[in-house]
Parts: sequence; C-alpha cells; structure tokens
Amino acid sequence: MNRKILAAGSIAAVAALALAGCSGSSDAGESTDPDAPVTLTLSGWSIDTTPEFQTLADAFTKDHPNVKIELKEYDAAEYNTLVTADLAAGSGPDIITQKEVKYVTTFQEGGQLLDVSDVALPDGISGADSYEVDGAAYAVPYRQDSWVLFYNKALFAAAGVAEPDGSWTWEDYADAAEALTTDASKGTYLHRWQSTVQGFANAQTDTSVLDGDFSNLKDYYDNTLALQDAGDQVDFNTSTANQLTYQGEFGTQKAAMMLMGTWYTATLIAQQASGEANDFEWGIAPAPQLDEKTTGTDNTPVTFGDPTGFGINANIDSAKADAAKQFLEFAASEEGAQALAEIGITPALTNDAVVESYFAVEGAPTDDLSKFAWSTHDVLPENPTSSKTATIQGILADLHTAVMSGSTSIDDAIKTAEDRVKNEVG
Amino acid sequence: MTTTEAPSRDAAPPQTKLPRRRSALRRRNALIGWSFILPNFIGFGFLTLLPVLILFYMAFTNWNVFGKADWVGFANFQRLMGDGSFHIAFWNTIYYSVMHIPLTIVVSLGLALLLNNKLRGVAFFRTAAFFPYITSIVAIAVVWNLLFSPDYGPINEVLRAIGISEPPGWLTSSEWAMPAVVIVSTWRDMGYYMILFLAGLQTVPRELHEAARVDGANVWERFTNVTIPSLRPTMFFVTVMLTINSFKIFDLILVMTDGGPGQSTLVLSQFIYKKGFEESQFGYASAAAVALFFLCILVTIGQFLWNKKRSA
Amino acid sequence: MTETQVLVTGGTLRKLNAPAPVGRTRSRLTVGRTLGYIALIIAAIGLLAPFFWMVMSSLKNANEVFSVPVVWVPETFVWQNYIDIWTKSNMLVWIRNTLFLAVSVTFLQVLTGSFAAYGFARMKFAGRDILFLVYIGTIAVPWQSYMIPQFILLSNLKVSNTLWSIILLQAFGAFGVFLMKQYYETIPEELSEAARLDGLSEYGIWRRIMLPLSVPAIASLTLLTFVNTWNDYLGPLIYLRNPDLWTIQLGLKSFVSNLFDTNYALLFAGLTISVVPIAIIFLLGQKYFVEGIATSGLKG
Repeated sequence: MNRKILAAGSIAAVAALALAGCSGSSDAGESTDPDAPVTLTLSGWSIDTTPEFQTLADAFTKDHPNVKIELKEYDAAEYNTLVTADLAAGSGPDIITQKEVKYVTTFQEGGQLLDVSDVALPDGISGADSYEVDGAAYAVPYRQDSWVLFYNKALFAAAGVAEPDGSWTWEDYADAAEALTTDASKGTYLHRWQSTVQGFANAQTDTSVLDGDFSNLKDYYDNTLALQDAGDQVDFNTSTANQLTYQGEFGTQKAAMMLMGTWYTATLIAQQASGEANDFEWGIAPAPQLDEKTTGTDNTPVTFGDPTGFGINANIDSAKADAAKQFLEFAASEEGAQALAEIGITPALTNDAVVESYFAVEGAPTDDLSKFAWSTHDVLPENPTSSKTATIQGILADLHTAVMSGSTSIDDAIKTAEDRVKNEVG
Repeated sequence: MTTTEAPSRDAAPPQTKLPRRRSALRRRNALIGWSFILPNFIGFGFLTLLPVLILFYMAFTNWNVFGKADWVGFANFQRLMGDGSFHIAFWNTIYYSVMHIPLTIVVSLGLALLLNNKLRGVAFFRTAAFFPYITSIVAIAVVWNLLFSPDYGPINEVLRAIGISEPPGWLTSSEWAMPAVVIVSTWRDMGYYMILFLAGLQTVPRELHEAARVDGANVWERFTNVTIPSLRPTMFFVTVMLTINSFKIFDLILVMTDGGPGQSTLVLSQFIYKKGFEESQFGYASAAAVALFFLCILVTIGQFLWNKKRSA
Repeated sequence: MTETQVLVTGGTLRKLNAPAPVGRTRSRLTVGRTLGYIALIIAAIGLLAPFFWMVMSSLKNANEVFSVPVVWVPETFVWQNYIDIWTKSNMLVWIRNTLFLAVSVTFLQVLTGSFAAYGFARMKFAGRDILFLVYIGTIAVPWQSYMIPQFILLSNLKVSNTLWSIILLQAFGAFGVFLMKQYYETIPEELSEAARLDGLSEYGIWRRIMLPLSVPAIASLTLLTFVNTWNDYLGPLIYLRNPDLWTIQLGLKSFVSNLFDTNYALLFAGLTISVVPIAIIFLLGQKYFVEGIATSGLKG
C-alpha cells in the first residue's frame, strides 16, 4: 500500500514539475542601461530562402549596435507546432514571429505574448487589427501580402486579348480566360488552397467566417467550377495528382493568368533571373471584383490577405523587453518597410516611398497598374482574430476539397459546413 | 501460457514450514522477475508511461498546453459524444481497420508461407516484399497519387482497357478514397508482417509436418492442424499489433489525402492531431486520445482472452 | 511399354518397382513451380513498381517528374541530382547521425526488450500480467497526443536538441518487449527446466538458451527497429533542431524544399540513397529470419 501511494505521489510531483515548469528565463538584473549589449532570439523559417528575417535583423543592428539578433530556424511546414512545443517547454524565442493569424489567440490566451500596445505604429499601416485582442495589441505587423491577379503580357498579346485595366469583374475574368485558352496553355491557373476561392468570397461580400453563414460561397464556387468544366483552368484533381506548383504553372507559361498573393513577385523575379521560369513580360492587376462598385482605378479594389507580425515572449527578461519593443517598432516603421521592399517583400506599410523602392528592383513590372494593384486596395483579413477561427477554417477546408474534387455539390457542402459549425463550434 | 515455478535450488531444510518457503519463493521470483524488467522499465516508465499518464490527466482538463489546465471532469467526453466529426473519424477508423486487418493478415501470411523455403531467388522476392515498407512515406504518397489519378493514371487505364468504362475516382472521390488508402496501406504493410510471420514459422516443428504427411494429411490439413496452432503466439502478436496500428493510422492518410476529400478519410489520430495542433484544444484532443486508447484496449483484451482460451 | 499397353492404359501404366516419378509428374511439379514463379514475379512487379518510378524520377529534371501521362523511363538520364546531393548537401553528416541513432536504438531495444521479455514470459510474480497490459496499453496511444508532455520532460532533462533525446525516446519501447515475449512462449519449457536442474541461473538461461533459440525474433526486431529509426521523421523534427544533428529524412526535406517549391527529382535521389543501406542489411540478414532452430531432441 505504502509503495503505491509513494508511486502515485511521485508521479504527481514529477508531472506538476514538468508542466508548471519551466517558465524559461528567470528575471535577471534590473539594469536599464540602454546601451548594454543585448541578444535577442527571433524565430524564422527557411532562413536560406526567406531573407526577410536576416534583412530586418541586420538593418536594426545597424541602428542599434548593442543589440544582436540571433535567428532560430524552424521547419516551415510545422512552424506552429514546433514553436508551441518550445514555448510549452520554456525554450521559446524572445521574439515570436506570428506566421499565421489563426494561432495568435492560442499564444495570447496561453499567456505567451507580451502586451505591446505601447509600441508606436506608423499611420496607414495595414494589418494591426489582426493582432488586437480585447483592445490590447499583442504583436505588430511587418508584412502584409494581398491577393492580386498576375498576368502574362506575352500570352495576352499572342491571343489578342486586351490586358486587364483594373476594371474587371469576375465575368470579365472568365471571358478573358476563355479567350486565352489554347492548346499549349490554359487561360488561368487556380492553386489548390481554400483561400483562392474563399478569400475573395468572404472579403468581397464583407462576410466574416465567424458568422457561420456560408451562402456567399456558392457563386464563387460556381464560377470556379465553370472555369474548370470549360477547360480554361486545370482541374483540381489533376493539380493534386500531379502536385502542380503555382510557380511552375505561371512561370513556365502554362497559364496566362493566376490569382496569387503578392509574395509571388519576388519569387517570379528571382526565377526569371535564374532561368527556372521563362523570360516573358508580366504584370499585376487588381483582383477581379464582385461588381462595378469597386472596379476601376478611381475606386479601391477589395481583396484579402493576412499580415505577418512579430510578438514578444511574455517570459522575456525584463532587461531585454525594451530592446525587443524597439525591434518591433523598427520592423513596422518606414525604415523597416524600405528594407523589406528592396528584397521584394510586401511590407505592412506601403506609402509612396516604399512603392518606389519595391518597383525599383530589377525585373519588377514597371507599369502604373501594377503599382496601383500593389499599393492601393482594401485588404480584409482572411482569418479573423478569434479562437474559433482555426476550427471554422478547418471545416471550410473540408468543404473546399469536397467541392473542388467534384465529390460533393456546393449546396450540400455548404449545408454540411454550416451544421458542423453549429455542432463543433457552438 | 503459464510458467512453472522453478524448484528452489537452495535446498531448504525439511523442517521449514511450507507457507514461509512458498512466500520466500514468491519473493525471490518477484525479485528476479523485476531485475529482468527493470532496465527496460526505467526508460519506459519515465519516458513513455509518465507522458501517457499526464495525457490521461489532461483529458479531464481544458489544457491549453502552456500550463493552464483547469479540471473540467467529463465535459470533454460529453462533448465528444455529441461531436459529429468525432463520429465520422470513429467510423472511418473502424471502416479502415475492418478492411485492412484481414486483408493484411491473409496477404502477409500467404507471402510468408510462399517464401519460407530455400528456392533460388527467394531472397530477392522477400526483399521485394519489404521494399514498400522501407520507402519513404512522402514518396509513397506522391507515387500512388499519380498512379490513382482518375483520368491519366495507369491504374484506371488498365481498368478501362479491360472494359470498365467508368473506373472509380479513387483519391478524388469520397466513396473510393478510403479503399484506395487501404490498398496502399496493405501494400506497404505486407512486407513488415511477412517478416514477423516468417520468424514465427521457424517455430513450427518440422517433425510434426513430416508425421502429418506420413499420416496422409494434405497441404490444407497440414496447414490448419500443424502450422496454425504452432503459429498461435505469433498470430496473436501480429493481430494485436495490426489492430492497434490500424486504429492509430496517421502518417499515410495525412500525406495521401489529409482526411479528404471532405472528411471521407478522416481517422481518429488525425482528429486528435487537428484538435490539438491546429485548433489548440489540447484538453479536448487528449480526451479523444483516451477514447482511441479505450477502443484499442477493449479490442486487445478481447483478443487476449480469446488467445488465452485457445491456448488453455 | 508396348504399343498395346499404351493404347490400353493411356500410357500411365507404371511398373511397381519403377523408379521415382518422372515424366508427367515431374513436369507437373515443374509446371506448378513455374506458375508459382510467374505469380511471384507479377507480385514483385506490383510491389516494386512505385519504387521503380521513384528511382526513375530521381533521374529526371525537376519539372519532368510529374508529367501526363506517367513516364516510367526518362529519355535522358540526369545524374546531376545524385551529384548535387553528395556535393551540395550535408548528406554525410546526416548519414552519420542516422546511422548512430539507428544502431544505438536498435541495440538498446533488443537488449532491454529481450531481457524484459524473459521476465514477462518465464517469471511469475504479482502484477506481472497487469504490468504487461500497461506496456501494450501505451502502444495503443498515438504518439502525437503525448508528444508535448514528453517533450517538456526531455527538455527539463536538458537532452532536447541532442541525439540522446531520440535514443531515449525509442530505445525503451514496448514493441520489442511484446515481440520477444511472444517468441519466448514458443520455446518449450522443458529446455529451461533441464537447464535449471543443471544449475543454470535465470540469467544464464536467458543468455544461453533463450537468446540463441530466438534468433529469428531477434533478427526481425533488429531489422524493424533499425528501419523505423532510420525513417523516423516527426521525432527528429521536434527534437533535433541544429542542422548538424539532422537525420537523413530531416536533412533531405529541408534541402529540397525552399521558398519556391519542392524539387522532387532531387528528393527522390536522396530517398533512393537512403534506402540502399537498409536494402543491403535486409538482403544479407534475411537468412536469420528463416534460420531453422533445432527443436529435435525434444518430443514435439
């Protein structure tokens, strides 16, 4: 009997120790000397091919020589799982990059993010709302991609189709796709992610996924399926079976148009330089709109996108917290934005100076429409900041694969999704 | 199978009372038995058993993985009962297992019997059977996705060639996705279980086979009356492992279909992973893991009892 | 045979003292064997076809891998992929790490597993069966669900981000214990009885009787543990963060995936290289699975 109690007790003790755990760094000295050397760790992914972290770190250290920023590399595909594991074990980074807005509430409700409401943000910065919970800010955006329409000028010319001029609705887009389809290439390519359809559907009808009403998706799915059926777009199943890459499809001119996020411009420029992509003229145009109300360069087109941001580990040494906040402020500032624009990243702040830097990169499109599409838009968040978002997006992901693979009709899939939200999210 | 008690080697004096001798014996056996188990148990207990116990505890809390774990009693389990996705995952898992388990046993046992000889080239065939298991799962998913491609894949081309005008959609159809997964999974596992059966077949005494043959028994009779009974411990092991592994299937489905299309291939392990790592509801995910555990354990105990009855 | 005999009997007449079956019966055996071989070859094709496609694809250009229709043999063989893997990636480091892990884990698993299995199979003591069920019970829990508590424990022990974490994780599993215990149960008790009468201790029995007689089980446990450790991805992903600790699976994944997309031809080249050691071990070691054990000397 005694042995059993002892065993149970020791298990409980170890368990308690293990979990109450490790609040990581202890509270070290109270030195507030702003010039004392400080090392901050920052979480990033695919560091070799994602230069934004190093760029920001270097630019910041130039202005603040006493601060060293160490990058901690994480696997890109499992980033959130690994960061969660590290934070749970108390070995998380000082500056936590928020790769997806879906997980912000997880970190915040778990007490892992420091309140950074006192970090000054420039006017006109986009995406700050995504990091606000209960009126306080828990991260700052440094990057805000949005979805635009990429188009291949060479293929347009060959088919004799007028290039987009910023006034397109979805009907115009479908017409162009039909006219552009040849034996050698399709009119357009749509990647397999749920965001390619749902992002526009929600942003342009001003619907939040949290409402649990998905009737707005029907038209958008009908349009996409029509494009598939007409043969103007590679169908979802073939795309899946052959693991088609969007970079490959547009880059090797297998599709004349493609809806994609602005991050692709940097990739395309690099691939054209290295020869992986064909050499052709291309541009970006605002995404097709729901109706005429938001078309044309006099209006502001509506599109979607989520920011990427930096948060601060709530367990950070108090001596380091100031330096960390300074880094956040820098990353969101115009200086940070400039540094990012120069390497082809779309920063959260896109004022005129930043636009100039971005399009000054060799290989970037130079026409005005591209600059307009990149800088002028109403970007609505793809993922609202809430603890219900991840579950609902999972349900919608299942809807997407069911409908796009042709195994369920859109009406049935919408009904199933709505029922599931009621059942699983409440 | 019972074990005999080893006769005590230190010859106890005849006057010793019987009960004390027996309890000294029992204690000695216990000590020796524990000394065998301890090296493995120390590592196992701390690194596997303890996390599992913590997991069980978490199933009754609203754990958010960062240290907060308030007790909520059976609330997570009640929620599971009403959760539509959990039901789907549960029945998909059963569906998968019911197809996968008998198929794999038959195929791998057949392979083992076929290849349990010293014919020329048998080493090559055994290696061929094992190749699917040692190939990376990423490669398997990519290759089979291609082979199963409904319009351009070789499998449907063959089916069309033999006259089936509308071959199944395989991984793109919610009806055929699970059968496709079962096919790939059996293809992958048969080499693994073949090895276990091969090892087990070595314990079948040759003399019994000879005796039976002399008695006029044909191949089938020899198989059922000599091979199968001798294989019982191995068969038990294979069945238990195969059952548990089938209930727990995760990697293959994740890379092949990710639960799709829709939720047609969603299985319990994946439900647990999603709830935990994608939706950050770790307490709830733990409850689902406990449910999966009970499913496995109940079936295993059933198999355990069946095996005990058979061997008695 | 005379012609009459042939006509009457249809040619199957055989003298009583005629030698062992020749002619038709022998050919029936050969036919059977040939059919068996054909069936095996078809089965082997089915088993190896996907792997064959993977190897052929490793010799293609990256954008030719997925083509419509499926291309089984590329027109030009691009050996550059293999050169790239060896020269541009850290393959040697990864192989070294993976080899170290696989060997250590396998050794420890087999040793402690077979040792513990003897305790479960042959020793009788209170709580034995319950403890064994506990062992099997942990196999019934999916690893992803207790991955985090385990990670926290190992981090507290300060072994996370070292190779020891993987060794500790895998070396003490229940699988090895279960497999060996089942095998021990097929070894007749009489052998141990005789040994005990000869004065051998339980440890001696384990070493001199159980181990040699369970070579097929040890061989299969060794092979399966080795393969599992060699191909393990999620475990090393979580615990081995430093690039110089990476295993082959981890290293390959990060080497071929970049910001742009996954270079499948390169990935397949790496995976092909990764499979070779295991295939060799299997080819050489498989005779141990079918090593006959001498049970003669005992009544069946």
